[in-house]
Amino acid sequence: MMIELQGVSKTFSSGRGHVAALSDISFTMARGQRGVLFGRSGSGKTTLLNCIGTLETPDSGAIVIDGCDICRLSHRQRCHFRSKSVGFLFQAANLLPWLSVAENLMFPLEQNGIKGLEQRRRIDALLAAVGLRGYDKAMPAELSGGEAQRIAFARAIAHRPAILLADEPTANLDSANSRVMIDEIHALCREQRTTVLIATHDHELVSTSDVVICLKDGRLEEKR
Amino acid sequence: MRLGFVLKLAFLFLHRSRKATFVLSFMVLTAVAALVFLSALAVGTNDAMIGNSTGLFTGQIVGSNLHPGDLPLPAIAGVERVVVRRDLPVLLGKNGRVEPLTLIGVDAAAEKATTSLARKTLSGRYPDPGEASIFLGHATAERLGVAVDDHVLISDRDEAPLASLQVAGIYRTGLTHLDQGMAFCPIESLPGQQTNLSIAVFLAKGTAEDVVVGILRRILPSASFLAWPEFMPDLQQLIELDHICMGIVIFLVFVIVSVGISCAFHIFILKNLRDHGIMKAMGVSPADTALLLVSQILILTVLAALVGTVAGVVLAEFFATVGIDISSFTSHNQYFAVSGLLYPRLTFLATITPPATAIFFGLIAAVWPTAYVLHKGPAEILRGM
Repeated sequence: MMIELQGVSKTFSSGRGHVAALSDISFTMARGQRGVLFGRSGSGKTTLLNCIGTLETPDSGAIVIDGCDICRLSHRQRCHFRSKSVGFLFQAANLLPWLSVAENLMFPLEQNGIKGLEQRRRIDALLAAVGLRGYDKAMPAELSGGEAQRIAFARAIAHRPAILLADEPTANLDSANSRVMIDEIHALCREQRTTVLIATHDHELVSTSDVVICLKDGRLEEKR
Repeated sequence: MRLGFVLKLAFLFLHRSRKATFVLSFMVLTAVAALVFLSALAVGTNDAMIGNSTGLFTGQIVGSNLHPGDLPLPAIAGVERVVVRRDLPVLLGKNGRVEPLTLIGVDAAAEKATTSLARKTLSGRYPDPGEASIFLGHATAERLGVAVDDHVLISDRDEAPLASLQVAGIYRTGLTHLDQGMAFCPIESLPGQQTNLSIAVFLAKGTAEDVVVGILRRILPSASFLAWPEFMPDLQQLIELDHICMGIVIFLVFVIVSVGISCAFHIFILKNLRDHGIMKAMGVSPADTALLLVSQILILTVLAALVGTVAGVVLAEFFATVGIDISSFTSHNQYFAVSGLLYPRLTFLATITPPATAIFFGLIAAVWPTAYVLHKGPAEILRGM
């Protein structure tokens, strides 16, 4: 999916008054491109990902995905868009603790009407892809940080979303696990032509990305 | 999402949040069990009051203005026994003292087998069939100054002597109209010709007296039939009051329980708010979120209410077998004149009202936490993590 941001701004109200989280952000990513989003904490990276993923609505501007301005979607349409076209990968694994690994992977598949044998086949393939075959019945609390994050990644891509939004997915991982995670994300991007946007502090990703966006205090400082 | 998957999620959530589920279920379960038992106890108390009041003498239905040709009555479903009586207004005299009362001629053997009056004998015994004896209330006996084996003179209201009867026994019921205004003798010894014929109808447990009264009125339109609520309006009001009190108790208990459930569920949901944020981020719609939360509360309350109902039924059935003796609290209570034993009785309404109320209030309790989760946006939740 092609992502096009046109003058996106977002302001939050807090005890400190109005804080501009995003100011006039514009950029474009073509289908299947890999993008990284740099910036210090509080620079607006998460807010930007949330806006693209329809978790938040910009105050002004437009986010056009495959020709459709998602800011104009109804609440119901946004839910549908998220469940069908977006995969989220958070800093913490954010697995549902009361569901087993297989049930966590089942969640996005069920939402997209993938059931029965096809569901089972996909879960097995996902577990194999992230190197955790045989972990179906494990509960999230029994997994290490790296394992949990790989399962979270598998869940994010289970329904084969057109866009993967990753918010500092390697922040809680050691360097070896971080490398594996990034490689897996890039492999997916190549295989499924998924548009990937990763918010990170890791400058090593610059060399392997098609689009690099730097944010500072909610403004676009640099774009390549 | 498919309904089946939402229900599966709700079940897994409850199953894997064992401690919280147990605490919430236990709260609902104990409330339902207690209320099923209390409802059965209230029905049993009413039964005891009705049984005590009607079993002593009147039966559940009283028939008067009958003619000898009206008897015996045809068999009517629910009618256990019918005792026939004749009564005569007389003057009872002894030692120059005179006491006006209604002398009732009874089939002594049938009365002894059917009513509980003989069990209230203070001294002497209940008259035997055919003997020329009388069974007096203690208040009448005191006024006349007579004791067992003394003879009393029976006169009509014009003071014309009719017969002399020996006092076989003296009873005390605690009910003024029985202890003062009546005396009993075997029907064969009842003097006089102008006696009134009446019957007392005793019904099987659970028989609706108004239905039987309706049948009797159809069969014998010239006679007069009254069910106990008509000739004992005080008891009827007391029972209605009991129903109202029970309704208030059930309502109050479940208001408290539902506030408890609501608060506990709110805490439960706040603890798991992150999960709802994640699910919302994954595209779970508000309708599915509401369905999930309502399913969780419904599964929890329905299962807890079912187990609570079974527990309440078992408890009620146990005490229905052994009885609960409250005679030390009822010795001066006219509605427990015969026995202070209570036997809880389960009726359909008494069994179904507590669990139905629990489920209803459980759903009401779900409104607040559900609204809270629906109101929160996914980004807001995830930001707060």
